[in-house]
Amino acid sequence: MTANRVGKEDKTMNAFRAALLGAALAVAGGSAVQAQSGATLRVGMAAQDVGRLDPHFAVSTIDRVIVAWMFNGLVRFKPGSIDPAEIEPDLAERWESSPDGRTWTFHLRRGVQFHGGFGELTAEDVVFSLRKSATAASSAFAADFRAFESVEAVDPYTVRIRLRENVPSLLGLVTNYSGGYIVSRRAVEQRGADFVRSPVGTGPFALDRVTPNQSAELSANAQYFRGAPQIARVSYRFIPSDASRDLAYQNRELDVNYGRADQTWINRTRQVPNTVVDVFEPGELAILHLNTTTPPFNDIRVRQALAHAINRAELVRFRGQDVTREAQSVAPRGYLGFAQQPLLPHDPNRARALLAEAGHPNGLTVRVIHTQLPEMLNMMQVVQQQLRRSGITLDLQVVEHATFHQQIRQDLSPLVYYSAARFPVADIYLTQFFHGRSIVKTPTAVTNFSHCNQADQQLDAARVSTDINEQRRLWGEAQRILVQNVCGVPLLETLLVFARRDNVDYGYELRGSMSLGPLITERTRIRQ
Amino acid sequence: MSALSERTPPLPGEFAAPPPPSAWKRALGKARSNPTTLVGALICLAIVAGAVLAPWISPFDPADQNIIDRLQPPGGDYLLGTDQFGRDILSRLLWGAQISLSVSLSAIFAAMLIGGTIGMVSGYIGGRFDLLVMQVMDVLLSFPSLILGLMVVALLGPELVNLIVAIALTAIAPFARIARAPTLALKERAFVEAGRALGYSHTRILFRHILPNITSEVMVMGTLWLATAVRVEASLSFIGLGVKPPTPTWGGMTRDGFENILDAPWLAVFPGIAILLLVLGLNMVGDGLRDATDPKLRNE
Amino acid sequence: MIWFFARRLLAAVPTLLAVLTLVFVIVRIVPGDPALVILGDQATPEAAAALRERLGLDRPLWTQYFDFITSALRGDFGTSMVTGRPILDEVAAVLPHTVDLTVASMLFGTLVGVPVGIWAALHRNRAIDVAARILSLLGLSFPVFVSGIFALLLFSLHWRLFPVIGAADLDDPVDRLHKLVLPTVSLGLIMAAYITRVTRSAMLASLSEDYIRTARAKGVPWRRVVWVHGLRNASIPIVTVVGLYVGILIGNSVLTEIVFNRPGLGKIIVGALNQRDYTMLQGLMVIYCFLIVVVNAITDLLYGVLDPRVQAA
Repeated sequence: MTANRVGKEDKTMNAFRAALLGAALAVAGGSAVQAQSGATLRVGMAAQDVGRLDPHFAVSTIDRVIVAWMFNGLVRFKPGSIDPAEIEPDLAERWESSPDGRTWTFHLRRGVQFHGGFGELTAEDVVFSLRKSATAASSAFAADFRAFESVEAVDPYTVRIRLRENVPSLLGLVTNYSGGYIVSRRAVEQRGADFVRSPVGTGPFALDRVTPNQSAELSANAQYFRGAPQIARVSYRFIPSDASRDLAYQNRELDVNYGRADQTWINRTRQVPNTVVDVFEPGELAILHLNTTTPPFNDIRVRQALAHAINRAELVRFRGQDVTREAQSVAPRGYLGFAQQPLLPHDPNRARALLAEAGHPNGLTVRVIHTQLPEMLNMMQVVQQQLRRSGITLDLQVVEHATFHQQIRQDLSPLVYYSAARFPVADIYLTQFFHGRSIVKTPTAVTNFSHCNQADQQLDAARVSTDINEQRRLWGEAQRILVQNVCGVPLLETLLVFARRDNVDYGYELRGSMSLGPLITERTRIRQ
Repeated sequence: MSALSERTPPLPGEFAAPPPPSAWKRALGKARSNPTTLVGALICLAIVAGAVLAPWISPFDPADQNIIDRLQPPGGDYLLGTDQFGRDILSRLLWGAQISLSVSLSAIFAAMLIGGTIGMVSGYIGGRFDLLVMQVMDVLLSFPSLILGLMVVALLGPELVNLIVAIALTAIAPFARIARAPTLALKERAFVEAGRALGYSHTRILFRHILPNITSEVMVMGTLWLATAVRVEASLSFIGLGVKPPTPTWGGMTRDGFENILDAPWLAVFPGIAILLLVLGLNMVGDGLRDATDPKLRNE
Repeated sequence: MIWFFARRLLAAVPTLLAVLTLVFVIVRIVPGDPALVILGDQATPEAAAALRERLGLDRPLWTQYFDFITSALRGDFGTSMVTGRPILDEVAAVLPHTVDLTVASMLFGTLVGVPVGIWAALHRNRAIDVAARILSLLGLSFPVFVSGIFALLLFSLHWRLFPVIGAADLDDPVDRLHKLVLPTVSLGLIMAAYITRVTRSAMLASLSEDYIRTARAKGVPWRRVVWVHGLRNASIPIVTVVGLYVGILIGNSVLTEIVFNRPGLGKIIVGALNQRDYTMLQGLMVIYCFLIVVVNAITDLLYGVLDPRVQAA
């Protein structure tokens, strides 16, 4: 009797499963039909959730990608490009600067509407936004605006910016990047603390809602000043696990997928039918920063030994030829002012000889703090192995990412692996990592872990110079000094990777994106 | 708040009557004749042998990377394939066994020692002190063990010792409870009362009269908990709390495999099976021991 | 009954307070700075200080503690430092997923474990019993993430029967059930195995009781003896284990959530810890502990229903 009963349950289970499967297939079929209509673009992102959606707090990749779809700057990078020379009008139709480069006047486009009925954009909003960006309490990018003396509205459609001193790229500060995004003054004041959850911009898409840990849903801004977007909705889905996201993409549950900067991933994804893999700028330059003021790296021979121990070609082979390239200087390639430097070649014997010369005939051990973030930890494990072959042992103290960022800023690690992309002008990268003002544990600290300040003079002079050729010369000189002094060992540059269905047309050629993800514009469409 | 940690709670009344001191030995004898226990013991022995002999029998250095040979499938030069760094999976499994075994053994030993002492002393002293101590144990039990582990490791860093601390912390409270219950009963018993009347010190009564009577229970519990400790260790390493790279752990290897599940499914399968086998082996042994000591089952 | 409930909740208040205090202290001594998480890696110390001031992190610890405890007691958990969203909203958004998974796993564990356990007990020491015991031992040995990955490899990748992404559309019941299957099996496996064992031994014990023998001797049909008298007697240990396991299920669900990419309480607790989102972590722990207290109170209440002696005591 009992056996009979269980048998019955078994049958019910089977029937139930069959019913579920049938229903699921129907659902899957339904979503395929929806995708064909081109209504919704589904983008898969490697993150658990978005943070504050105030663009002036968008510091993580996941946040940068989405705010770029909702906000504009006074000017913008040409879609698909990160070349500052290709900056074009956005909210400002035109602009002019005084001969000394200290006064800039922007003339706003008329009739630009904010999302959600917050009215027309005026100079008041621009002044409010830029002042907000420049204030530490209301922006993560306040330090970028140090040179700003004043921002005023001349009339409802004209804004004037006065600078204390010259900056390498004023347009870079008011472009669609970081602190340059323009928000609605009325919305910020009305919504207060809620603005970070329901942001109001002028971009082609407006935020509908965020489902925590799942997705952010955006809908087209029909009043967008460049014309109504061709895509009706964007669904930005948070899927931290690479495998899950990739499978969702393969199963056509996603149209665009955040890619892993890894050759295996690229090769596999390229084989998925109707798929295009876009590899684009900016490259993130990884450097091993060496504290030049404390043992063992206060001895330049030890730093040189470490440089000789590094095999950049192998690092590139590990990550993949398509997404990485060997570093050529202490500034990333392609940035304005980049100058290729002669880096010390891979030579384990030379490394051992230098170590012996420096009094470490049996090699040495360095206690290094590192993050447990997988992609950074993986890379560091390869570096660890390379150094081990030359007699340098890295005793890795693997800590959580938040702890890592705090402890390296407390100067607790004599060697710091740091990988970063910045605004594509050499000044920013070099200043943040190698200017005396940025040395960690000082009030103005950013990320100078090497304590190098030998190139301060060149960097300061270049920053305020108005002659582009002079600037280039000075930045080149600075890189030469820093490389010669082995303040850090440049490793490799990693590009960004996204996959998309071949019927997704961004509306431009994706060669680069300062928002670190594809820009979805009014011209982006899903072809039938 | 009752036991929330991840493990198999004892049945109510299972240890109601403390077995006599020789129970542990008798249990061992009885368990030996049980085929399940035997198979379990063989599995455990094989894994212990693999761990101990790892330096001699593993075909490769577990940390050595061969970037050219990354993500090789099983067979060929690498019996079980390679991971994303081109490291030999088999060698890493063998070395990883050392971590699994040493971490869980030390953690359970520490929990037994600390938890057992707390429970015994608390039960013996009784009164408000006992109440307070048990309240503290309740607080410890109220944390989900994985979250508690995460917090400990976030606080102290992912070192081997801290992993042991994290696991031990989750196991202290149950051991305290196990030791306390029989102590409460024992201290009312005639021989303890007699000892007190004779003017023996509390320490002497605790360690000479009470301890021998609760050891076997705590020991059997410890064997059963070893399996849980291996599972918790693997889970913590899977969430990302392993030990310093390049030291291999089975949980960490499973995590690496999970990240590469589309390109190299074997990466997750082999360490997964290893964890499964070890936990199964320990469970089989522990099960036999429990059956042998369980007063209800003993007579059947 | 309401009284019983209220008393239980009141009795748990000291433990809750202690847990909260511990969480408050731990998150503040763990290294890592929420300001750096919010401001990103280019932040200067000045900017971080300004943000800390705005978040109230520069105030004396005891003021922060007092504020936290008093607002927690009022049921106000504040907003997440990282996302700026109210913590209750965040919890409300993931709670259905956690409840789905917990309830489904509990049902799975009970509906599989109890019949198999009874079945094994009735066929004691025969092939069925041995198979059930071996299988339950095997089930007991599967760490949640291992069973999850194996299930994923077989059913999602190889046979493509189930989706890889477990984040279901809550408004679509079919989708919700379909995506629940694999996570439920992998999370509920250990519970099913354990309940099988508990049921089997409780049934064996119960069937050997005198009154059962008497009932049989009196000619009560065997079917009725087993299902009414035997099971009723065995139900108390089973309920104990089910109650205990609900807490374990919620605690372990973080592993299932990672493997199947489901939103849930476990995952946001881990996320908050990683981001040093103090307010979020504190709020989540309060809610988590509260859930456990409620579950335990329900378990105790069930005892009373099943065993009149408990109520009298």
